[in-house]
Amino acid sequence: MTLVYVAVLAPFLAAVVGLLVGPRQPRLVVPIAVGAMGAALFSTLLLAAAAVVDAPLFERAQLATAQTGAFSSQGRAGLTLGLDLRVDGLAALVSLAVTVVALAVQVYSTAYLKGDPRYSSYAALVSLFTSAMLLVVFADDLLVLLVGWEVMGVCSYFLIGHHWEQEGSRAGAVKAFVVTRLGDVGFLFGIFLLGSTVGSFSMDAVVTRAAISNGRLDIAPLVTGVPEHTWTIASLLLLCGVVGKSAQFPLHTWLPDAMAGPTPISALIHAATMVAAGIYLVIRLYDVFLAAPATLAVMAVIACVTMLGGALAALAQDDIKRVLAYSTVSQLAYMLAALAVGSAIASTSHLLTHAAFKALLFLAAGSVIHAVGTNLMPDMGGLRRLMPVTFVTMTVGLAALAGVPPFSGFFSKEAVLGAAEETALYSDGPAMAWTGWLVLVIGLLTVAVTAAYVVRLWLLTFFDRARGPVAGHESPPAMRWPLIALAVPSALLGVVGMKGDWLPAWASVEISLLHRSDTDALVFAEREVAQGSLHLGLVTSALSTVLVLVGAGVVYAAWRREPGTDPTAELRARHALEKAFHVDDLYERVFVRPVRGATRGVDRTDESVVGGAVRGIGTQSGRLAAAVARTQGGNVQSYLTGLLAGVLLLVLAVVTLT
Amino acid sequence: MSDLLLPLLLALPLAGALLLLVAPPHLGERLAARFGTVVATATFAVSVWAASASPGTDVQWVPSLGLRFHLGVDGISAPLVLLTAGLTALCIAYLLRVRPEAGNLRALVGLLLLLEVGLLGTFVALDLLLFFVFFEVVLVPMWFVIAQWGDDSVPGGRRRAANLFILYTLLGSVVMLLGMLLVGTQAGTFDMVELAARQGADMSRSVQVVAFLVLGLGFAVKTPMWPLHSWLPDAHTAAPTVGSVLLAGVLLKMGTYGFVRIALPIVPEGAEVVAPYLGALAVVGIVYGSLACLAQRDIKRLVAFSSIGHMGFVLLGISTLTPVGVNGALYANIAHGLITGLLFFLVGAIKDRHHTASLDLLGGGLYERMPRLGALLAFAAVASLGLPGLAGFWGEMLVLLGAFDPAPGLPRGYYLLLMALGGLGIVLTTTYFVMLLRRVAQGTSFQAWRDAVLLRDAGRHELLVWAPVVVLVVALGLWPGWLLEASDPVVRMLLGGAS
Amino acid sequence: MSAVQSIDYLAIAAPLVVALVALAVLVLDSFLPPRRRHVSGWLAVAGLVAASGSLVPLVGERRATFCVPGDGVVLPACSYAVDDLTLAFQALVLAGAVVVVLLSLDTVRDSAIPAGEYFFLLLASVSGALALAASRDLLTLVVSLEVVSLPAFALVGLRRHDSRSSEAALKLFLVSVVSTAVMLFGLSLVYGVTGQVHLDRIATALDDPSLREPVLVLGVTLALAGFGFKVAAVPFHFWAPDTYEGAPVPVAAYLSVVSKAAGFVGLALLLTRGFAPYADVWAPAVAVVAAVTMTVGNLAALRQRHAVRLLAWSSVAQSGYMLVPLGAATVGDVDAVLPALIAYVVAYGVMNLGAFSVVTLVGRHRAANRIEDYRALGRTEPLSAFALAFSLACLAGLPPGLLGLFAKVVVFKAPIDNGAGWLVAVMAVNVVIGLYYYLAWAATMYARPAEEARPPAYRISWSDGLAIGITLGAALLLSVVPDTILRFD
Repeated sequence: MTLVYVAVLAPFLAAVVGLLVGPRQPRLVVPIAVGAMGAALFSTLLLAAAAVVDAPLFERAQLATAQTGAFSSQGRAGLTLGLDLRVDGLAALVSLAVTVVALAVQVYSTAYLKGDPRYSSYAALVSLFTSAMLLVVFADDLLVLLVGWEVMGVCSYFLIGHHWEQEGSRAGAVKAFVVTRLGDVGFLFGIFLLGSTVGSFSMDAVVTRAAISNGRLDIAPLVTGVPEHTWTIASLLLLCGVVGKSAQFPLHTWLPDAMAGPTPISALIHAATMVAAGIYLVIRLYDVFLAAPATLAVMAVIACVTMLGGALAALAQDDIKRVLAYSTVSQLAYMLAALAVGSAIASTSHLLTHAAFKALLFLAAGSVIHAVGTNLMPDMGGLRRLMPVTFVTMTVGLAALAGVPPFSGFFSKEAVLGAAEETALYSDGPAMAWTGWLVLVIGLLTVAVTAAYVVRLWLLTFFDRARGPVAGHESPPAMRWPLIALAVPSALLGVVGMKGDWLPAWASVEISLLHRSDTDALVFAEREVAQGSLHLGLVTSALSTVLVLVGAGVVYAAWRREPGTDPTAELRARHALEKAFHVDDLYERVFVRPVRGATRGVDRTDESVVGGAVRGIGTQSGRLAAAVARTQGGNVQSYLTGLLAGVLLLVLAVVTLT
Repeated sequence: MSDLLLPLLLALPLAGALLLLVAPPHLGERLAARFGTVVATATFAVSVWAASASPGTDVQWVPSLGLRFHLGVDGISAPLVLLTAGLTALCIAYLLRVRPEAGNLRALVGLLLLLEVGLLGTFVALDLLLFFVFFEVVLVPMWFVIAQWGDDSVPGGRRRAANLFILYTLLGSVVMLLGMLLVGTQAGTFDMVELAARQGADMSRSVQVVAFLVLGLGFAVKTPMWPLHSWLPDAHTAAPTVGSVLLAGVLLKMGTYGFVRIALPIVPEGAEVVAPYLGALAVVGIVYGSLACLAQRDIKRLVAFSSIGHMGFVLLGISTLTPVGVNGALYANIAHGLITGLLFFLVGAIKDRHHTASLDLLGGGLYERMPRLGALLAFAAVASLGLPGLAGFWGEMLVLLGAFDPAPGLPRGYYLLLMALGGLGIVLTTTYFVMLLRRVAQGTSFQAWRDAVLLRDAGRHELLVWAPVVVLVVALGLWPGWLLEASDPVVRMLLGGAS
Repeated sequence: MSAVQSIDYLAIAAPLVVALVALAVLVLDSFLPPRRRHVSGWLAVAGLVAASGSLVPLVGERRATFCVPGDGVVLPACSYAVDDLTLAFQALVLAGAVVVVLLSLDTVRDSAIPAGEYFFLLLASVSGALALAASRDLLTLVVSLEVVSLPAFALVGLRRHDSRSSEAALKLFLVSVVSTAVMLFGLSLVYGVTGQVHLDRIATALDDPSLREPVLVLGVTLALAGFGFKVAAVPFHFWAPDTYEGAPVPVAAYLSVVSKAAGFVGLALLLTRGFAPYADVWAPAVAVVAAVTMTVGNLAALRQRHAVRLLAWSSVAQSGYMLVPLGAATVGDVDAVLPALIAYVVAYGVMNLGAFSVVTLVGRHRAANRIEDYRALGRTEPLSAFALAFSLACLAGLPPGLLGLFAKVVVFKAPIDNGAGWLVAVMAVNVVIGLYYYLAWAATMYARPAEEARPPAYRISWSDGLAIGITLGAALLLSVVPDTILRFD
């Protein structure tokens, strides 16, 4: 069990130490950062091995418990804040993916940020982020998960703002943090609802109750179910957080702007891990969502909008990183779609493969940018020969992204589409048939568009001749090796899809049921949820392969007409696509400006009304005092008149009132 | 011994203050500061002892008024006592190196110790009138601190700010006194323990409502609750660094502590009637305060307004009348004391260096100019916007949780609305803090600041003073159980037992 | 019982002693060589101390003298009685007088005032105040009230060749005459209807519901006037600021404490002993007067730049507070409010004399005696400055001035117990207004000096020092153990 602690604490300590001694001892920074990440990787490797070899493996460790006495005023059970960590197959595999990418990024960064004055704080923040992400992965208590969740967010904020002398990264950092936090508020309320419904913030308890409600677990006589609408509300609230973190419509706008951060950060946080955390959370609490069909439908719609919209936007970006960013948005939507149509395992598999190939793509793009000193694809070109390693690895990554068989992306995407098909044809689960059809159609369309922008990127970057001022050169080994290391899984991870029941077995989700039996004795049972199985529908596979060819072919044709120019240059809708359908301008008009107005309003109110009232009292009492002082003129007659008048008034008052 | 512990806790700073105030003028200032540091540290040591021993004292003082010298420490006052003693010690230690521009240091240290007496007394008093006396003790020293050592950066100058502070809060506390006398005459005793145990048994509903309103007005002014806050921004902005630290760090807590310790348990029915309105005003304060922060052009003023928002959360928690909410409120109290105290230390340091607190004049580039100060500012900002894992989060989370599930008598749906607005407040808080960092810390420095030679980064002495606060913020963030376990039983008792 | 009554000389010792000493001073003074004038001052002090000594054996007893025997119908009634109330006020009056005399010693020497006349008049007035506290019938009440007042006119005007002084005396005189006239009119109405002069017999008479007629209501109300003048309650307050300013500062102190205390005891006796059954009539009237008085006094004080004038207005405001208990009296147990009244009057006497002592001292060196003259006093005269600051804190009722704080608490309690909420609210606001000018004054003493050249330290004669010491000591002591003045019941 100590492995979990090692995995979580090693990067954390590395971060603390790095922040404290980093500035003074620059030489220690690299060993600390890379070493800690290595340790984390090693421990997660062991955990995953255990998960794969003798699955199921189940561990939990309660770090601490703090009575908050919640709900007791309602006479419910006192609620404990348990810092529980738990490891099962799913957690093990995801944590492995996280640490692999994190280590790759740390190594890569040593070269990419060579000579950067802020490298020490950068490395420390990356370590802190990794630790937080692992906390999310292993957490069993929702509030503990929230801690990791938000710490990830703030790390991302600081890292996006790494180049804070540039306006772009300042703005991007603020936007990313505020938008995600907006979603997190809903997330928090969702946690409240779950906690107060179940009487505990432990995921086990929550999932158990949900599983009872949605019928996947039958101990109903012992523990009563919960009305469906409760689950619906709770899951929708959770969805807010998911949508924010995983950059799904309508909160997706922060991710492209987050590209202002250093490229390795984009690879780690904004492609492989943090943005996938939202999806991971849904998988963890999947029973809750299965208990709320309405939410599944909402998810399907959101996923489809994001999927296609993101892909189309990616089609028209000039900045290579923005292309990848929109592609990330669209790929995350695939994972969400898989969940919407009821297949957690398809989602899981796409999460894992995507982590590999998207991290690879970003690192490769970073290597390109490092070489030519620009993000803009129109200024690149002809790097095929100059940067062979980058070219090959990136090609692998792009193939995986486009879903070219037999690269990993193909299988995981097929799993998603297959699940959609299943739901569409014979839906028996909570997911409704029409959502299946929706996901299937949009998913296939997106396949084509994906292929199109992938090819466009590929051609613009590597082919033709160098159009930019700088001719590129291959990157240093510290950057090359991570590429190679990530290319391997990107290419081969598909095999987990080949045999349909491997991944389900490895990525099994464990629930420990702790419930009162009729004899009122505590019964402790364990249950393994086999997450369905992956299967590749022949039809969908064939169809999507064709669509890949179509998408690619169209772009290639356009390119052939006049090489070296953007194939989508003549698209009529190009401007709309480039601006991602003007969602940002819309938000500017609908949210940002009103808030600014309110701000000014409050400022003025505070000055004039609230402050003014006080000032008014001051001046008025001053006037009053002056009036009183005027009665003291020093003139005796007036004194006596006043005296007698006063007496008269008094007498009149008393006589009349009594 | 244990019944002399609390008198000692009060006598120590009092003696120190008197010694400093009557000491011959030619006494060296540095010596005075050293002496003050020693006294304050000793007081802190005693407070730690007291917090662990939880002693009590109860002797007659003014029988004809029914005023007893009744002191005690329990789970909800101990944290505040420690906070007070700790922050005061840090403030005085801070003065060892960092002198205020004008005014005589000896008197300042003396007044700070006097202030400490009043604050500690307020938190350990268990007799209504005694509470009132200590409540008042704070005013005059704070007035002098603002009026003599403040600066004239506010409209009307420091004198006006100080007057606004003292007149406003005095009005509040006099009204509060009326409430206490009302309670005392109705119940026939001023003993808080006794009264809390009775849970308003011998007071009619109407009397309870009036009493809660009147008491609450006094506490609300101190807290401050919107719209009674207008004394706060000027006072904080004009006050010297140590002044604003104690003002925001501890003084504001007297109000919320009064709510929990006096208003809720003594007139529960009144609380139940008024709570929804209190909650509404609290939420208005949260949103209003954070919107105002977005508009501020003075960094100290901004932090001041942020206090209004945060104290709004505390009030919201109190208004839920649930153990969760009230625990959360007390937690947020302590967290806000630490975090905002740190923030005021930092902005004070920035202001002392640049001789301006105007965001426009400061410009960006703090990270670049003073990495340590910038990093600390970022830390404090992140803590203040309620990042989970730091002290600021748990309190506000529990407050919202309390609002999610308010006490049986209260309108549920209404409180859900309040909770949602509170959530909006969280987002706005995040926004203005990141905007602050964006304006001040990020970006590049003005040429003028580059050329200025005196702009040194935070020195060892400052770091040593701030370090304990930083550590506590992290510790409380990782370990909420600490305070909650202490406060929870007391809160349940005050709320009429775990029903 | 024989027609020739036996007089209880111990009971009347205090006024008697003071009166005799007054005569002695007057006689002695004419034989004294000019440079030995201060002897008469010390003689006065000795007399006052002796008088206070004569109070000691009376503590805890109820004595009465000058009684008329009762027949079967009416109870025996006495014109002169000594009880706790009386003793408390007599003690206050004597102590206050001692301080005033101490303060006067230098004043008399410096400003060419005939010492003999001065101290004679002072003691005469004091003996009147002492008698007033013990009088129990209308005639004694009125006569002793006049005995307090008449010498005061002379005292105010005693500074020859000083137009301000004589003008002040004139104002005092005129206002006094008018209000006394009003009072006598009222009393005569009461007497006409009830046919009684003794307070307790008037009370029994008024108790009969058939006597409830407008005439009596009118009489009772008008009777307030004379005492309203003494305590400088609105609308009888006009004389106070001008007179205080014109008179020698110690005389102002005397008027604001000793003679005011006399006014209050007279008022208390008349209302609670005599007109008790009519509490429902006079209590609201007093309450209104109290509210107006404190408000007017505080507001006017806000604008004062002259130390004595400021204290004058502040003492008007304080009279408002002191009237509150009487304003909260209810038929049935009027006596319930007396302890609060006594407590506040005594506390007020201590703190106000404290302030006046320092003001007198400063006045000797800075004739103008503006608030501005107190700037940076904390540096040159730390002790005196502290004494004044502490007195002001007490007057404001804010810690460290615990004496004033407790006094205010006591006064607040009375109306709350009797449910006169509006009066409490008015008082609360006034406390805040009051704080403003007291604080501003205190702050000036600790502000940085206008010109860096530090002004020379004062030369403090030990009579002044003694006065300041006594008042400050009393204020500090009573702040720690306020119970000594709070438990009169």
